[in-house]
Amino acid sequence: MNDHRRNHRRNHQGLVDRLPLYAAGQLAEPERAKLDRHLAICPSCRAELELWLAVGSEVSSANAGVQAPAGLVERARERIQAPSALQRAITRTFSLLFSQAYLVRREMWPSSAILMAMGIMTTLLLQKVALVSYFAPLVAAASLAAIFGPEHDPACELTLATPTASWKILLARLTLVHGYNLLLTLGASLIVLFMVPPELLWGLILSWLGPMTFLPALALLLSLWTGSGNSVAVAYGLWLLQFVHPHWLPGYLAALLTPVVDAYRQFWASPLMLVSAGLVLLLAALWLSGRMGTRLVREQL
Amino acid sequence: MLVNLTAKAPCAVPNTMTNNDKDLTLVQRLVAGDDAAMQDLYAAYGQRLYAYAWRLTGDPAQAEDVVQDTLVVVWKSIRKFRGEGRLLAWLLGIVHHLALKSLRHRSQPITPELEETLPARLPSPEQQAEQTAQAELLRAGLDRLSLNHRAVLELVFYQGLNLEEVAAVCRVPLGTVKSRLSHARRSLRSVLSWRDLEEVR
Repeated sequence: MNDHRRNHRRNHQGLVDRLPLYAAGQLAEPERAKLDRHLAICPSCRAELELWLAVGSEVSSANAGVQAPAGLVERARERIQAPSALQRAITRTFSLLFSQAYLVRREMWPSSAILMAMGIMTTLLLQKVALVSYFAPLVAAASLAAIFGPEHDPACELTLATPTASWKILLARLTLVHGYNLLLTLGASLIVLFMVPPELLWGLILSWLGPMTFLPALALLLSLWTGSGNSVAVAYGLWLLQFVHPHWLPGYLAALLTPVVDAYRQFWASPLMLVSAGLVLLLAALWLSGRMGTRLVREQL
Repeated sequence: MLVNLTAKAPCAVPNTMTNNDKDLTLVQRLVAGDDAAMQDLYAAYGQRLYAYAWRLTGDPAQAEDVVQDTLVVVWKSIRKFRGEGRLLAWLLGIVHHLALKSLRHRSQPITPELEETLPARLPSPEQQAEQTAQAELLRAGLDRLSLNHRAVLELVFYQGLNLEEVAAVCRVPLGTVKSRLSHARRSLRSVLSWRDLEEVR
């Protein structure tokens, strides 16, 4: 009799967990029959099953009125067929570049090309390859100093009022104008190859890439900060400072300044430093362009 | 007594070969990029997916968004369905994940007004006859359950999933599903006065 009770209790423990599945009609035949036999002799399990059956019926009836809405497949299909975020971003970028190409001062394109051509001719005539790394950054700085701001853009207020963020507009113009200047300089370097062996091309590019990043970035930042005329003058002045020789100065001052001037010249000769510093200045310029609108409003008040 | 014990237990979706075969054909068509297959998938499972999404979000508009997102996810990642389990369980797993994600992003909590917009319950004639106070209590008890516990009951009793499938849909261990079931049982038992049971004991 005790054995029978123990068996019953063991069965009960194992089977009580299966009651929800039994009530949901999910048990396969051998197990279902076993539970049926147990239910016949176990009133507590019968009460438990009653609860689960009531839960099942209540859960099902709660969902009985739900109707799947029409048109969801069509809407999902539209979204599937819509261009991806990347495609949309590419389209937007190209349309922004295209629209800004018209808004940049037009004389910039031919004047940069003419200045660059003059530089190449001088380089060829003087037979001095290093000249490329001097005139290219100066041309690039002059053009970048005049791409943004109320002094250069007649429609500046309109530009600032468009929904496109001003830093995006500045970035688009920067890409166009600086990309154009870089291409011109690359062309100049290729022409200069008539004078030097081809394996020196990379060295030549490195010699102008640093100043060509830093100087225009500096001019752009200053132009946003002050005004174009001043900014180019200051940038050129800073660039020219590297050619100052301390021995032109009185003895005690020369001794004091020599390490500083040496470090300064070192800076202008290291492409990596110039490129990194230039990128930092560009980021600052993009940040400053966002504040241009507030400044304009303040000035007008 | 709420339900006649001699009545046959409610039969969930039969897991027959024909259903599996239909699902496999559907999946193959989706993989092949058949546009009409999406419509067929929705015709077969849309109602279940929408009901589950509504249950989890408590809001019909949000449930529509969830199901729409689910269809997009299904179209893009149908190749990930290896046919190891039932298609319905895989689909409900996506709905579950997206519904919880959309709940996390919703700034407003579910208000009692939103709860009231849940679909009207349409009881069968027999049930109408048994509209007792206990049935009301059970309903209230179900509504008081947490989302996790209610989800398990939905998946077992309405969607007809087995416990392993429920665990996969909710992304929890099997033991958690079992403990959620027994917690739901305790909670409902405490709400109801199961006099029959007490008498037996």
